[in-house]
Amino acid sequence: MKSSVGGKRVLGALSVLLLLFAVGCGKKEMVKSTDSAPGMASPSGETQEQIVSETLPSQTAMAEAEAGVAVTMERPSEFSDIHFDYDKSFVREDDKLTLREVADYLKANPGASILIEGHCDERGTAEYNIALGERRAESTKSYLVSLGVTPGDLPTVSFGEEKPLDPGPSEAAWAKNRRAHFVLR
Amino acid sequence: MIRSAGTLILSLLLLLVPSVSGAVLYIDINAPGGKRMPISLPDFVVTGGDAALARDLPGVIGGDLAMTSLFDVIPRQAYLERIVPEHFLARPLSFPDWKMIGAEAVVIGKVEVRGDQMAVEMRLYDANLGNMMAGKKFSGPVRRFRKMAHEFSNEVLYAFTGVRGIFDTEIAFSARPKKGRGKEIYVIGLDGRELRQVTDNRSFNLFPRWSPDAKLLAYTSYRTGVPQIYMRDLAGGTDRLVVRHGNSKSPGSFSPSGDSLYATLSVGGNSDIYRVSLTGSAVRKVVGGWGIEVSPSVSSDGKRVAFVSDRSGSPQIYVKDIGSSGERRVSQAGSYSTSPSWSPAGDLIAFTSLEKGRYAIYTVRPDGSDQRLVISDDGSCIDPSFSPDGRYLVYTLQKRGYSELKIGSVDGQWRRGLFRGLQAVGSPSWSPRQ
Repeated sequence: MKSSVGGKRVLGALSVLLLLFAVGCGKKEMVKSTDSAPGMASPSGETQEQIVSETLPSQTAMAEAEAGVAVTMERPSEFSDIHFDYDKSFVREDDKLTLREVADYLKANPGASILIEGHCDERGTAEYNIALGERRAESTKSYLVSLGVTPGDLPTVSFGEEKPLDPGPSEAAWAKNRRAHFVLR
Repeated sequence: MIRSAGTLILSLLLLLVPSVSGAVLYIDINAPGGKRMPISLPDFVVTGGDAALARDLPGVIGGDLAMTSLFDVIPRQAYLERIVPEHFLARPLSFPDWKMIGAEAVVIGKVEVRGDQMAVEMRLYDANLGNMMAGKKFSGPVRRFRKMAHEFSNEVLYAFTGVRGIFDTEIAFSARPKKGRGKEIYVIGLDGRELRQVTDNRSFNLFPRWSPDAKLLAYTSYRTGVPQIYMRDLAGGTDRLVVRHGNSKSPGSFSPSGDSLYATLSVGGNSDIYRVSLTGSAVRKVVGGWGIEVSPSVSSDGKRVAFVSDRSGSPQIYVKDIGSSGERRVSQAGSYSTSPSWSPAGDLIAFTSLEKGRYAIYTVRPDGSDQRLVISDDGSCIDPSFSPDGRYLVYTLQKRGYSELKIGSVDGQWRRGLFRGLQAVGSPSWSPRQ
C-alpha cells in the first residue's frame, strides 16, 4: 500500500483509520451495554475487532463527518453580510446596495447560484432562532427576486444561533451575528 | 442503548413474596416540608468483587432519596450493626439498634460478583415493625450497578409513597464536544453520571426528543448541510430520516402513542407545526399562520398542543385543541416567551419567559390561569422539560459564555446542578419512565 500511494493518500488513509477507530469505539460501548446475558462476556479486544469490521463499509460516515465539520465552518464570501434588527427579518435600507451587487452578479452569471444563510444572535431560544434565521434568509431571497433574480438560483438555509461570527455576549457582537451570509456555489 | 430491552435484563426476581407489603402510604409525597423519613443505608455485603461496591451502591440510593426531600439518610458513623451474609438467610436485623439511632427504615444489600457480572439482592425493612417492605434481586453487568441501585430507589420510594420513582430516567441534551465547533447529542443519568455521546457527525445536532418508550431519539442534524430530522434507534445505533417536506425542521414532541411526531417544518420561510406520521409518510399541518410557529409540545392525552407563535408581535405560548380551530394565548408575562413543556398530568405548561432583562421559567395552567414564576437565577434559565412524574424540571442555566444543566422542583423549593462538563450545553429533554 505504501509503495503504491503518495504521502497525501497515506494521510487520507490514516485519517480513515482514525475515524473507523473512533466509530468503532463508539459502537463498542454500545454493544457492550447490550450484552447482559451471563457467560456471554467477551474480552474487549474481541468486541472491538468485531465492531471495526462492521464499520468497514461506512464510507458514508466518513463523508458525513467531513461534511459535518464543513457545516460548522464560516464559508468565505464574495459579498458582505447584510444585517437585521433584533427579532426582525426585514431588509434594511443600508443593505440594499449589497443586495443590488448580489443580484447584478447572478444576472450577469447565468448558471451561478448563491446560498443564503440566515443567522441569529445567541439570545432567545435555539428552536425559535432557527425559524427566525429561516425567515431572514427568505426575506433576503424575496428582495433579490424583486430585483429580477430567478428564485431557483437562491437556495436558503437557517443556522439559527449556531454559527455566531463573534461569540462575545455584547450588543456589538449580537448585531454582527444577526445576518444573512452569501455563499457562491 | 441503556434502555434497550436487552440491557434491562437485570433480571428481576421478587423475593419472599408473602412478606412484601403493598404500597403503604407512610409519606405524603405532596406535603412539602412534612416529616422526613430517617433511613439507614449500611454498607452492602460484597463477595468476589470490588470492595468499593459496598458503599457505592447504598451511596447511589442515598443520593436518589435525598433528591426527593422526603428522606434523611442517617450518617453511617452512627450505625451500631454491621450487615453480614447471615442477614440474608435467617438472622434478623437487630432492629432495636437501628431504632436507637433514629432509623425508621433500613436498606441492606448483598453483592456477588463473578467476572464482569454481578447479582445484587436488596431489601428494605421497616425498623419499627421489623418487616420487609420491599425486596428485589438484580443481575447484570457490574458496570451497570448504578442502574440496579436506581431501580431499587424506585422501589423504596414506591413502598413509602405509592408513587413510582424516576431515579432510573435520563436526560438527553446537545453540547459542543471537547474538540470541534459543532454540537452533538448526549445522554446522562439523572444523578449526573454515565454520560454518553449519541451522535458523532461533527455538524450541529440539536433538540433531542424521546419517544414514549424511550427507545428512540428524534433530533435535528445539519450533517448534510441543511437541518433535517432524524430518528436514532438507541439500541441499534441506527438513524433514519423522518421527513423530507420543507426546509428547516425541528422535532417538538412525539404523540402519546408514539406513532407520529409533532414537528416544526418551514416552507418558503414560514415555520408551522405539522404532525408527521412515523409509520407512513403522511405530513399534516396542525398549526399554521403567517407568523413563526415553533416548538410544539403535546399534552399526555394527545388532544392539545402547546406551541410558540410570534403572531402578536413577539413570541408567546399558545394552546390549541388539535383538530379544532381555536387557539388561545396562555403566556402573559414577558416580551419573549418560548419553549413550552406540557406536564405529564396535563395540568401545567412550563415555559421560558424574558422579564426585566432575564429569562426565567414559569408555569401556567392550560387555560392561561395561575401563571407562576418557578425558577429564576443569576443568569438565564431556559428550555424547561418536565420529569415523567411531573415533580421536577430540567433546564439550562446560561451565564456569560457559560452554560449548565440543572434540575429544580416545580414547587420552586429545591434545585441542583446536573451537568456542566461541556461547552454550550442546552435543549435538555427528560426521558419517560422505562
